[in-house]
Amino acid sequence: MMPLILAETGEENIIRRVGGSPEMKKHLEDLGFVAGGDVTVMNAIGGNLIVKIKGTRVAISREMAAKIMV
Amino acid sequence: MENKKLRIALAGNPNSGKTTLFNKLTGSNQFVGNWPGVTVEKKEGRLIVDKEVILTDLPGIYSLSPYTLEEVVARNYLIEEKPDAILNIVDATNLERNLYLTTQLTELGIPVVIALNMMDLVKKSGDSIHVKELSRQLGCRIVEISALKGDGVKEAATAAIEAAKNGKTIPQHSFSGPVEHALAHIEEVTVHNLPEERQRWYAIKLFERDEKVLEGLQITDEVKAHIENDIAAAEKELDDDAESIITNERYIYIGQMLKGIYKKKGTGQLTVSDKIDKIVTNRILALPIFVVVMFLVYALSMGTSIADGGVSIGTFLTDWTNDVLGGAWLTDGSRAILEGWGVAPWLVGLISDGIFAGVGAVLGFVPQMLVLFLMLCLLEDCGYMARIAFIMDRIFRRFGLSGKSFIPMLVATGCGIPGVMASRTIENERDRRMTVTTTTFMPCGAKMPIIGLIAGALFGGSTWVATSAYFIGVAAIVISGIMLKKTKMFAGDPAPFVMELPAYHLPAWGNVLRGTWERGWSFIKRAGTVIVISSIIIWFLTSFGTVNGRFGMVDDLYEDEEVVTDEYIAVVADRMGVPEDEVEPMDDSILARVAQPVSIVFKPLGFGDWKPTAATVTGLVAKEEVVANFGIMYAYDDQDGEEELEENGDQIWDRVSEDFDSFSGGHGKLAAYAFMIFNLLCAPCFAAMGAIKREMNSGKWTMFAIGYQCCFAWVIAFIVWQVGRLFAGGVNVIGLLLALVLLALIVWQLLKPYKEAQKLSVH
Repeated sequence: MMPLILAETGEENIIRRVGGSPEMKKHLEDLGFVAGGDVTVMNAIGGNLIVKIKGTRVAISREMAAKIMV
Repeated sequence: MENKKLRIALAGNPNSGKTTLFNKLTGSNQFVGNWPGVTVEKKEGRLIVDKEVILTDLPGIYSLSPYTLEEVVARNYLIEEKPDAILNIVDATNLERNLYLTTQLTELGIPVVIALNMMDLVKKSGDSIHVKELSRQLGCRIVEISALKGDGVKEAATAAIEAAKNGKTIPQHSFSGPVEHALAHIEEVTVHNLPEERQRWYAIKLFERDEKVLEGLQITDEVKAHIENDIAAAEKELDDDAESIITNERYIYIGQMLKGIYKKKGTGQLTVSDKIDKIVTNRILALPIFVVVMFLVYALSMGTSIADGGVSIGTFLTDWTNDVLGGAWLTDGSRAILEGWGVAPWLVGLISDGIFAGVGAVLGFVPQMLVLFLMLCLLEDCGYMARIAFIMDRIFRRFGLSGKSFIPMLVATGCGIPGVMASRTIENERDRRMTVTTTTFMPCGAKMPIIGLIAGALFGGSTWVATSAYFIGVAAIVISGIMLKKTKMFAGDPAPFVMELPAYHLPAWGNVLRGTWERGWSFIKRAGTVIVISSIIIWFLTSFGTVNGRFGMVDDLYEDEEVVTDEYIAVVADRMGVPEDEVEPMDDSILARVAQPVSIVFKPLGFGDWKPTAATVTGLVAKEEVVANFGIMYAYDDQDGEEELEENGDQIWDRVSEDFDSFSGGHGKLAAYAFMIFNLLCAPCFAAMGAIKREMNSGKWTMFAIGYQCCFAWVIAFIVWQVGRLFAGGVNVIGLLLALVLLALIVWQLLKPYKEAQKLSVH
């Protein structure tokens, strides 16, 4: 397992675990970041990521990406 | 047959085309944006196909969880108001995510009709969706539509009306064994006395330990402990917390369902939107591209006029409005006509110099505003605005703001009101308050004339004045951000950034033009109401007054030798602190009398004279008033050459320059610059203060924001004036020392180590 920030750009990963406070976790899950789901990092700027999740593009900050384990 | 009016709720994800569909269904005027949260206000309309049916546009949401404002608004409406049907718009290009909300909506016991949007795009990409099967599996009717083109919209409306009259939606999905077991128990012990069709929703929410539902149902501690056992048992068995279990199982259910329904042709290729993002949000190119885009936006709206070899259509039209429409036609034209009719001179003055001059000053920059708003709406509609927030996030984070704060600031360069309102997209309350407090530091359109006046009158039209105004605005936001972040109220990291990036698409011109017009129209409306009224009031306050005990028009009274005696002149000169030969009729006006004592506040800033004071105070009504006021006050100084006056304002500039020089002891430029800084940074106009109050939703926070803005403006102007005189000459030692102390305090606050707050307040 590693945090999503370390994932290769363009490579599909499976989400293992979503951490963070209950609110943050729920918010991430509502956006599609659930354990078992696929996630692909499309682009990275200074640690902030654009990821492909459930067919959409979502921008997340480094702080949040660090809580998503793949 | 039925007399009761039907009510239908329109629900769907952000960026699913909901607002477009709403407009097509109701024909109402509304703006469609790309960042989540634009439609946080409740909007309703009557269906075009049946005027008796009311459609409510719910905010764009991903889920019915209790964590964001939009979700709470939407679900409270659905639970408490119980609409007769839900029209759920689903983006077919993004089924999985959109159906996640659908599975929750079908649990509410309200008939659901799905409007499957963007099916044309799905077909175009070669994918296919088995709509009939999807409808069967979800247990609700599906109508294929294209909200943008208007295809299928009528059918969707009719289907929703039918469902509202006699439809029923029973959720078809189920959860895993342990969850269903717990749900059955919860239903039995807690919600069996509620209407049957909503029992399931309540049971699921109780399983998720949704605090808001728990509060609402008033369940005894005993029962709570009982169901807690069931929940804990399921959690143990599935090794996850209850909320995540439900979320996960929903996605699993959707994923399995779609296997047989959604046939994908393209496999993992980069979409056009992805390719654009590769460049636009590229690590190295993102900032330069952003700078170029911003430069273009401002060059087109506010840059050098096309008449002078530039590219700005906005400036060209504004020049024309100012010179021809405002100056020649409205002011001079009305004067000529009125004088031709033999109207009393005071009335000519009121109409031409009071009303038309004031309104003309505002109308002048409407074209620039419209072009700017058009550009911003375009950026928003095509999807770039959301990327800007993403690109700016890392930079803004350094001084305690989220990237989402950037959009409000960008909009505020046009007008502070939509700017403050745009702060709604920021979920975190602390970040939102900070943004609301600092956004109006940006020089808005109405502050431009102030900058223009100061630059023209005292700095020979130098462009660095305007550039420095933007710099001051941005610096004020950055400095305030860092300083406030280190106070108790605002401590804590900015909320982590998550935001859906909609796919780029060609702008929908209808939406863009509607948005531009709505923002522009609010300006024009203000010119017609607030500005007209305040122009009349200011004209009255500067024209009338008490001279030596007699009330009347000051100009007339001053011509009366019996009233204005030499002794009286001496009294006035003493009061105003000017030599006797500089006493003017206007010194006795009501405005001068009222503003004179107030001007003490601005003495330490270098412009403690009644005219700039009056202009500043009336600037709180509307910033346009500052310049309109200068126009009125300095125009009246001159009693002989009124005809020459309206030409191009140069004469007013000369007088303003002279006046600033005379009351500041020869440091007119410095005083004028301090005046400009104060007016840029102090509390915005009434309308923007109203917007701040609405967004803060708290009298205390509103007072804080306005108080902070005024104090900050005063302190910065004070430092500039006092320290500036070190170079200009005529240092005031006490003032300088005080200024240096204040400066040191600011620097100390900026550099002091930052303490992390213990509690994250999520609203």
